[in-house]
Amino acid sequence: MLNVRIHKQLAHYEMNIEFEMGNEILVLVGPSGSGKTTILNSVAGLVHPDSGMIVSNKRIFFDSNEKPMPARERKIGYLFQDYALFPHMTVEKNIWYGVKKTQRNESKEMIKQLLQVLGIEHLLQKYPHQISGGEKQRVGLARALAARPSVLLLDEPLSALDKETRQQCQDELLRLHNMWKIPFMIVTHDLDEAERLGDRIIYLEQGKIADETWSVNNKNKQL
Amino acid sequence: MLDMDYSPLLLSLKVAAISTFFVFLAGVFIAYLLAKRDFFGKSVLEALFLLPLVLPPTVVGFGLLILFGKKGWIGSWLVEWFDFQIVFTWIGAVIASIVVSFPLMYQSAAAAFESLDERLSNAARTMGASEWRVFWSVVFPLAWPGLLAGLVLSFARGLGEFGATLMLAGYIPGKTDTIPMAIYFAVESGQMEKATFWVVIIIVFGFSLILWVNWWSKRNIRRFTRS
Amino acid sequence: MKHFLFTALFAILSIFLVGCSESEKPEEAELLISAAASLTDALEDVNSTYEEQHEGVKLTYNFGSSGKLAANIENGAPSDVFLSASSKDMNDMEDKELILDGSRENFTSNVLVLIAHKDSDSRIDSFKDIDPADVDHFAVGEPESVPVGRYTKETLENLNLWEPLQTKLVMGSDVRQVLTYVEMGNADLGVVYSSDAFVSGDVKVLAESDPEWHAPIVYPGAVVKASKHPEAAQDFLDFLTSEKGEKALQEFGFK
Repeated sequence: MLNVRIHKQLAHYEMNIEFEMGNEILVLVGPSGSGKTTILNSVAGLVHPDSGMIVSNKRIFFDSNEKPMPARERKIGYLFQDYALFPHMTVEKNIWYGVKKTQRNESKEMIKQLLQVLGIEHLLQKYPHQISGGEKQRVGLARALAARPSVLLLDEPLSALDKETRQQCQDELLRLHNMWKIPFMIVTHDLDEAERLGDRIIYLEQGKIADETWSVNNKNKQL
Repeated sequence: MLDMDYSPLLLSLKVAAISTFFVFLAGVFIAYLLAKRDFFGKSVLEALFLLPLVLPPTVVGFGLLILFGKKGWIGSWLVEWFDFQIVFTWIGAVIASIVVSFPLMYQSAAAAFESLDERLSNAARTMGASEWRVFWSVVFPLAWPGLLAGLVLSFARGLGEFGATLMLAGYIPGKTDTIPMAIYFAVESGQMEKATFWVVIIIVFGFSLILWVNWWSKRNIRRFTRS
Repeated sequence: MKHFLFTALFAILSIFLVGCSESEKPEEAELLISAAASLTDALEDVNSTYEEQHEGVKLTYNFGSSGKLAANIENGAPSDVFLSASSKDMNDMEDKELILDGSRENFTSNVLVLIAHKDSDSRIDSFKDIDPADVDHFAVGEPESVPVGRYTKETLENLNLWEPLQTKLVMGSDVRQVLTYVEMGNADLGVVYSSDAFVSGDVKVLAESDPEWHAPIVYPGAVVKASKHPEAAQDFLDFLTSEKGEKALQEFGFK
């Protein structure tokens, strides 16, 4: 469960947003500058609302009356636009970056499985600049999930990929969500993609929810 | 080889190395603290940091004397409490060298941090990294080529520092005679052979340092470039 | 930062340009006097009195180190009178026949003085009393390149103090710097010309050197051969050696 209520003054408008989500895929759609990424960053703790409340499974991320929980304690998986892989580390180091020392042993099996599902086991010793865009996207996903987050945030996860790879990756995302069963919050400006991925779609305009739709069919189609 | 005293070489290396050590720590720390932060008076503060770069060395030296002289603000206090004198010691040369090379280190470090992708640090934070770990595992290695350039420039600048050093450390043969001082007094007294020897040494040193850092950073920038 | 630099540069440049454009009107007899830097204060004081008494004569000074001034004159820089702080430079000029025969004259002299900061409680009242063990830092001119340093070395060698003081000697690149070291209280003792100590309010003179300890410190003056006003130039030189001139120089610590 993730409860989000954000009030924040931005450069050109005031953001006022409130929604709640379960272990589903929520897609945020809207023109650029409508506040999608601000919502992800607020949940991740990289920026803070002026007021409001963000709660994930009873853990209070943000509450106007308290000091916000720092990003590093929130257990968030975040796949950045362009993935933000560490260029000076191998794929393996990138993926293991967020795994605590004490959890290394118990994570081994899970990560091995994750690599298998994403088909990137053979890339472990490579550096980010040596692999393709689609591979980077999968490495980014693996890295975000390796630390066992309670929420996964994805900022335009597929926009840098060509059409064919994109389709493949969409399927992968759905499959991963099915395995993980945590809230996935995806930002995109592509309506088709939103409809294909989302259990629920929120349309944003100028920092407000313009429309909200539930889709029932696509998830079933994939399963 | 000329029959002469080689102590200026060792002293210059010692002074430049110790000064560079402190300048590196301070420059990296302050530049990281101020990078990507905006506050009232930041540009004034930065201008202040860079001031020794544009001031005549004698002005810097005079300012240092006012601070660290026997009757200076800090100097009188050090003498009174620790019986410790900075003027006319090689430590004075270190301090002069720190002040004049700090701007170079600060500028290189600030530029290196400024050009880093903020999302890389944020990615590390969302994965549970403390600020300490963010710095050492992500920021520092990625900024290293720029930091190294600053380090080498500071070292070369420290090696060549003359004006402020002469005022603060004085010229005491065998104690505070760095290479630039040896050159100055050799020229003034017409010992051209001795002057030429030191000039060649310092040119070879400065030139190879800069050459090496250019070569090194080019190689490394290529390595990290994302395709 | 860039903006600031440009503004500063512009300001500096404009001051420079304005300064250059204000050229002075030539006088009837403008005497160009190339004088050793240590004479600055004394000569500027003499200036107005002399001009009042000699109508139509205007004095223009060019101060610098004796060696540099001599080189300038040799290279054709206009000059009427050369006032040197060292016999050596004047000898060179004489050898090269750049000065008028018979015009050379020592117009003043200087002595070395031992100085300390004005708040110093030192009881030394002679160069002979200097105890190397009691001194942390002793400021002198660099003996190879600075004239006052050469005289100081001679003096201290004569008194067998040069060797014992060796590790305490802080060598200034000119006499001004030696003075500054003592003025700011960084060196306990220093040796400068009496005329230098005279103009500083922050030092006190502990002792004067005995002329027997070092080569005489004399200031030779001469009329430059290429002068366009040799008579007016000789008049000025005569004034300096007259009783009046001598007195004026003594007021600034010259002997």
